[in-house]
Amino acid sequence: MRKSTLFSLLAIFVLIPLTLFLGTQVKGRWYYLISTLVIVELMLPFFFRFEARRPQARELVILTVMAALAAVSRVVFAFSPYLKTITGIIMITGIAFGPEAGFLTGAVAAFASNFFFSQGPWTPWQMFAYGFGGFLAGLIFHNHRSWAKPWILAPFGFFTILLLVGPLLDSCTVFTVLSKFTAKNVLAVYAAGIGYNATHGIGAALTLLFVSRPLLQKLDRLQTKYGILEL
Amino acid sequence: MRRDAFSGCHPAVNFLFFVGAIGFGATIQHPAYCAAGCIAAAVYYLLLKGRKGFKMLGGMAVLFLLMSALNPLLNRSGKHVLFTWFGNPYTLEALYYGMALGSILVVMLLWFGCYSEVLTSDKFTALFGRVIPALSLVLVMVLRMIPAFTRKARQILLARRAIGKGASQTGKLTEKAKDGASVLSALTDWALEGSIITADSMRSRGYGTGRRTNFQIFRMTARDYFLLALILALEIAVILLGGTGASFTPRLKIDPIGWGLAVYCLLLWIPTLLQIKEVIAWRISISKI
Repeated sequence: MRKSTLFSLLAIFVLIPLTLFLGTQVKGRWYYLISTLVIVELMLPFFFRFEARRPQARELVILTVMAALAAVSRVVFAFSPYLKTITGIIMITGIAFGPEAGFLTGAVAAFASNFFFSQGPWTPWQMFAYGFGGFLAGLIFHNHRSWAKPWILAPFGFFTILLLVGPLLDSCTVFTVLSKFTAKNVLAVYAAGIGYNATHGIGAALTLLFVSRPLLQKLDRLQTKYGILEL
Repeated sequence: MRRDAFSGCHPAVNFLFFVGAIGFGATIQHPAYCAAGCIAAAVYYLLLKGRKGFKMLGGMAVLFLLMSALNPLLNRSGKHVLFTWFGNPYTLEALYYGMALGSILVVMLLWFGCYSEVLTSDKFTALFGRVIPALSLVLVMVLRMIPAFTRKARQILLARRAIGKGASQTGKLTEKAKDGASVLSALTDWALEGSIITADSMRSRGYGTGRRTNFQIFRMTARDYFLLALILALEIAVILLGGTGASFTPRLKIDPIGWGLAVYCLLLWIPTLLQIKEVIAWRISISKI
């Protein structure tokens, strides 16, 4: 078994249950701390696999450029402050270079852009949620490139954010705000986030609708022109 | 940027402090600890931000009031009913619980605000460069590219507008979106071509041929070792001394205040005390001239 695979299994089957067990031992409010630790532990295998692979310069730089582009993309669409394009670009990266690259791009883009705003309790959750969006897009479309049409990608992006990425971000709020975890209370918090998640989703859908075709063509061309096969 | 005494310490000291401050701040819901956390975090935040910090503190006060007032609407258990709304009890215990939750959130946000000021990206990469060499290199490069790409995007926008290709200010949304897409596309082209050149340059300079070394600007001094040991000892003491338990609903049950609180306060005041010490030393050295 490869060392990185072993570590991933270790993280998921030993580290996370251990954290959850320790959480129940803590007196006081452990929900936020433990859930965030679990989120970080879920990201560790991705980071570790990337490090263990000793990435080549090209791979590393392209990942960097895509993360920076995702973070910057909203400047281009500054005419509408509600348009969040970051997730759309992350998804496109996942489609072009595979789920793992999508995850790393998302996590790095979220972390880096928080240096320009502010790090907060939400940082690990944002890293994981954005990374997950890129991962899922890569998982579905990377090996089925014929499916990656703008009119398929746009609803995919919208619903992924509305149903998965957005609620993941809201989970951070659930663990910090609620004092009593009943189904009704939790649903109330998620319901309060729907409006925001919908605008976020529309932003990503528009990005995918308008930008995905030219951007994917460019990334494909880069792969054939310079022989970068797989990230 | 004005640097305070604590920011001048080794990143490991900074990191260990914030792990403790944020970790305890997020978990301990004992009211005395929450209050101590709020005060210490607010003072240090003001020290870092100066007059601008008051705006944030005002926002935090609003957040605290909101959280306190809203919690009883979601949590209806508790013995002392203050009043009823639509047949639901609004209890004192839940109100206290809301105040504790509000202050936990405020403490966390304030410490994170301080963290952003103190543990800048260069310190982060200096700290984790050994553990995650490739990813910390990625982070450094992304942080440099974000401003560079922003500048380039503006240039492309202006250039397109100058030759009459840009979307008009009053144009339709689809027109603006298409214009934005072209700009993004051009920016991507420029960035990707540049990335190949960067990568080739990195390769020809030997990236990946050996262990990556780090330029370490931060050195552990005797003061840093002392602070590291002190912070670690105080954090362990807070855990061992206990007395941090508190539950609010359905019945108030709060541990009596013990030595743990004093230790906790000492821990949280370390950055501020360091700065005070520095200021006093500075005054004395001036007065001697």
